[in-house]
Amino acid sequence: MLDQAFEALKTYDWGADPNVLKPIDDAIVASHGNADARRQLETRLAAVLTTESSRDAKDFVCRKLMTIGTAASVATLAKLLPQAELSHMARYALERLGVPEASQALRDALASLSPELQVGVIGSLGVCRDEASVPALAGLLSAADAAVARAAALALGDIRTLDAAHALSKIDAGATAANGARTDAMLACAEALLAGGNKAEAMTIYKSFTSENQSKHVRLAATRGMLACAGKSE
Amino acid sequence: MARRRKSTRREFLKTAGAAIAVPYVITSNALGNADTPPASDRIVMGGIGIGNMGRGDQGAFLGRSDVQYVAVCDVRAGFREAGKAKVDEHYKNKDCASYNDFRELLARPDIDAVHIATPDHWHAIMVIEACRAGKDVYCQKPETRTLREGPLMVEAARRYSRVVSGGSQRVLEDYRGIVDQCWGGELGPIKSINVNVGPLSQLCNLPAETVPPDIDWNLWLGPAPWAPYNPARCDGNFGTSGGSWRSYVDYSGGGMTDWGAHHFGGATFAIDVREMQPEEVVYHDENGTQHLTFRYSNGVLLHHNRPNSGNLQVEGTPGEKRPAKPVPTYKGEGGIYGDFIHCVKSREKPFRDIELAVNSVMVSHLGIIAYTLHRSLKWDAATQQFPGDEEANRLLDRARREPWQL
Repeated sequence: MLDQAFEALKTYDWGADPNVLKPIDDAIVASHGNADARRQLETRLAAVLTTESSRDAKDFVCRKLMTIGTAASVATLAKLLPQAELSHMARYALERLGVPEASQALRDALASLSPELQVGVIGSLGVCRDEASVPALAGLLSAADAAVARAAALALGDIRTLDAAHALSKIDAGATAANGARTDAMLACAEALLAGGNKAEAMTIYKSFTSENQSKHVRLAATRGMLACAGKSE
Repeated sequence: MARRRKSTRREFLKTAGAAIAVPYVITSNALGNADTPPASDRIVMGGIGIGNMGRGDQGAFLGRSDVQYVAVCDVRAGFREAGKAKVDEHYKNKDCASYNDFRELLARPDIDAVHIATPDHWHAIMVIEACRAGKDVYCQKPETRTLREGPLMVEAARRYSRVVSGGSQRVLEDYRGIVDQCWGGELGPIKSINVNVGPLSQLCNLPAETVPPDIDWNLWLGPAPWAPYNPARCDGNFGTSGGSWRSYVDYSGGGMTDWGAHHFGGATFAIDVREMQPEEVVYHDENGTQHLTFRYSNGVLLHHNRPNSGNLQVEGTPGEKRPAKPVPTYKGEGGIYGDFIHCVKSREKPFRDIELAVNSVMVSHLGIIAYTLHRSLKWDAATQQFPGDEEANRLLDRARREPWQL
């Protein structure tokens, strides 16, 4: 049954009955706790990504590797990152693997991608809370492409370390196309810093958002944050 | 010396008109009347997603005298135009703006609040962006598509002190009888409640068809994986067994989240665990029949599809009557919509505050993951993780298609 499913995968495309691939799902469930069986499945699935199978077939494989993929599949998945049609589904797996090799692959891909695909990889690095990518993301805060700059700001807000906060604070608030994202990211950093006991750094961030030229809801967020830093509730 | 003549009122207005901006006409609409607050007291609203549910939400808000409805947004031109026409007809003008891209609507500084009724895979992004833009939000259920989204939506709401209401009117209205029984104390300490709902959503592999000119297909898909257009993939009918976006895993959790949001919402309300999250999901497979038991830290159980059990069937403790507790209810007038508007004005948390909505919809998501993995799970609400369970933790979220991120 499993072999038939892998055979069907060779010609699988939109319009085909997805139930022909069900044995692969069943094998994934059945292999829980069996590292060897999982490894074999993973190898067979990853191999499909190097063939001329359809986009739809590779989409399916990436969904399964999201569940059972390991560091062993990272290199194969990473090769898809520059491909417009498959970059997202490569990240569909890479973002969830939770292995350092996946984050490294995402970081390594950044510099060589088109802005459109860079945005996706940046987002995934943020979701992974990849602290090692903070320097690279900091450099992208002033990217010419507004979407890239915005994505970098939001990702730093996901990572929300002190280094991320410092990177965000260094750029000119008015100069970046990502101003709204930068604001939100800095407030996220402030919350994390406060929760971690770093009231001084959090207060510095909150104070920077209290001027009259800030939107009312941003000033409110900053004011509440300052009260929290001072140990006061509203 | 010639005395300076006082100007007449007419001369004054003629010369001062250039310097003073006055409305050409101050309408009675702006001033308000006995039935309608003045414009300055009305909540300015826009709607994002004006399909099946969105039309209903729009109608509810549009019909309120304390709301000024100014904009619609939908990626389908037909829905957009119909939504605008409805608003224009109501106000007898042509003023309603219409947008294809929700970001343009959210960028309007005059809009105070939005209602969102898009397919589920868009909810989190839109709620969070709306909060960032300083808007209050009414978001249709199920409010989340993945477990990771919920805390981020709550975080955005709290960060900017936004009123964010989830959208199940059934929680208070359909299940009131069982809620009153449970809260009234006559059933004694509640041991368990059962919810019957399903199915789970499935992978969609429909064939490609030509994209019609009236839908922005790329924007409809948004953060979901790219797939070719097919009318059945994006149809907004209420089916969950194929032929509608509610059936398909990239946009919905199927009946488990669709009707599940209502039933689990009612159930968690009845057994008073809305402010809690389950600690454990026990997976049962009895002779090929799968069902679940969610266990809360106070010992109360929430069953899913328990054999021989009715929907919202409660197990109490006979003979141990308890004092009644007051049942939380809507504030303001006009059901869940009025509750939202009341809270927009008063800045209170609404009946289905986003945190409570997230807690109840998460039951659906935890269940989906248990059924997908065919096993029991433990859940840690503090860390929002399945402790030590890497396989389950991978299913907390899914990568969003560029350029979308939370």
